[in-house]
Amino acid sequence: MTAALEQQVRDALRLVLDPELGENIVDLGLIYDVAVSGDGAVKVTMTTTTPGCPAAEYLREGVSNCVLAVAGVAAAEVTLTYEPMWTPARMSAAAQGRLRGA
Amino acid sequence: MAGVTLSRWTMSYFAAALVALVAAEVLMATGFGYPAAALRGAETLLVVHLVAIGWLSLLMLGALFQFVPVLVAKPLHSDRVAGAVLLGLLAGLSALAAGFLHLAGVVTVDLPFFPAAAALLGVSFALAIFTLGRTLETAVSPGLPVRFVTVGLISLAATVMFGIIFAGVLGGGVEATLFLEIAAAGVPVHAVTGLGGWLTFTAMGVSYRLFAMFMLAPELDRASSRWVHRLGAAALGVTVVGGGAAAAAGASLTGVLAAAGIPGLAALVLYGFDVVHLYRGRLRRNMELNSRMAICALASLAAAVTLSLVTVVLGVFEEHVGAIVFLVAFGWLTGLGLAKLYKIVAFLTWLECYGPVLGKTATPRVQDLADERRAWPWFVAFFMSSWLGTAALLLSSASMFRVATAALAIATVGIVVQFVRARRLIDVTNDLRFPPGARRPRLFLSISH
Repeated sequence: MTAALEQQVRDALRLVLDPELGENIVDLGLIYDVAVSGDGAVKVTMTTTTPGCPAAEYLREGVSNCVLAVAGVAAAEVTLTYEPMWTPARMSAAAQGRLRGA
Repeated sequence: MAGVTLSRWTMSYFAAALVALVAAEVLMATGFGYPAAALRGAETLLVVHLVAIGWLSLLMLGALFQFVPVLVAKPLHSDRVAGAVLLGLLAGLSALAAGFLHLAGVVTVDLPFFPAAAALLGVSFALAIFTLGRTLETAVSPGLPVRFVTVGLISLAATVMFGIIFAGVLGGGVEATLFLEIAAAGVPVHAVTGLGGWLTFTAMGVSYRLFAMFMLAPELDRASSRWVHRLGAAALGVTVVGGGAAAAAGASLTGVLAAAGIPGLAALVLYGFDVVHLYRGRLRRNMELNSRMAICALASLAAAVTLSLVTVVLGVFEEHVGAIVFLVAFGWLTGLGLAKLYKIVAFLTWLECYGPVLGKTATPRVQDLADERRAWPWFVAFFMSSWLGTAALLLSSASMFRVATAALAIATVGIVVQFVRARRLIDVTNDLRFPPGARRPRLFLSISH
């Protein structure tokens, strides 16, 4: 049940795009962890491409809004972290390919 | 909203700066100042300060009020100060311009223009340095760009101190021999610390982060980039301390400037290698217009360095210093500034308008706010005009210079129109332009959330 909800949350987060790169935040590797508890509470740990990014708070709120809109989610908690720092190596192969223009 | 570092005043700085840039270009196109007037004549000094303070310093401060919080991942020490600084700088620049027009005989009213300019500009720049300095101070582990900006701000302080001395002497209120000696011989130090330290060194430091961010290139903090910082800081230290002392003593500045030039040149060469490394290491293979045009600006910097070396070797540097300064101010600093503004204006506009609805509804991408096919001819025209203007000065052709600067003004207006289009969301498709909850951005003042 929780595994299914986690997958639904991850799928939903693919609709949130990083405004600068135009790629979804899951394929960019900005979502570090999605933890779902039995009561429908979801904890997301995420990062941004650069610390201090002026879009960081908007991204955090955007993720929170998106998670809360998933059926079965009772509460959402989104934490920003820069440990470890994001690097382009965290992107999916597909996202890297698109940014390389392949 | 906690954690958001969107500067309320940055767009206002950019708007005021762009007005000053176009005004300076129009003045040059009408034959006001060098080469029609003397290089150190009052008309030339007016144009130079309109570019250096009105355009480049306002652009740099506006960018730093937004960018320094990004560098340290902490909010700006005081956003309200940024608004007061802008008003103070504009008032100070107006007083300075009036002082130069008075010297040129255009303004006949006899008022204390230079003391007023010194006070307004001195206090305003001091407030800016204090605010940015206190923000930089909060950096947990100061990275390379933070260290560059710190040296840039120290250079700004030195430049302003020399400027206050000059204004005091020009205004007739300062008669002490020490200051008269500095005013007579210190102009090269003022120019090097301003153009080289404050503007170029800061731009270099900021560019390390911006190039990495916009091209997805690796963040540089390697031996060569650390040496760029050390050598550049050493060159500026020698210029300020040695140059200031030599000017005060009435001695020649040639030896001091040569001693500063060697580490300065080494810093610029290493910076060139770093930039090539960044461009080669980028993940984003299809470069956006801002990154492509930055190459033209970097080429202008390389050309200015080469031109300086060649003219020094040939013993004709002083004869062509006007052309070299023009190339640095327009081909390098203005070109880089306009190229990066093309990206930054769209990015800040996106944050204001679409940030609050992210995750709630479909939003455009930052690049959807700009139409590169429409913008690139204006940028190409800008760089071609700046290089033609440099050639005109090298050839001592005043008429050719007027044609080049008229083209420069037209190209700049064409680029400014692209910024306005981004602010007005004109290039965003109708279905994405104003989703529910999105805010319509104001042209000159950012909405602070």
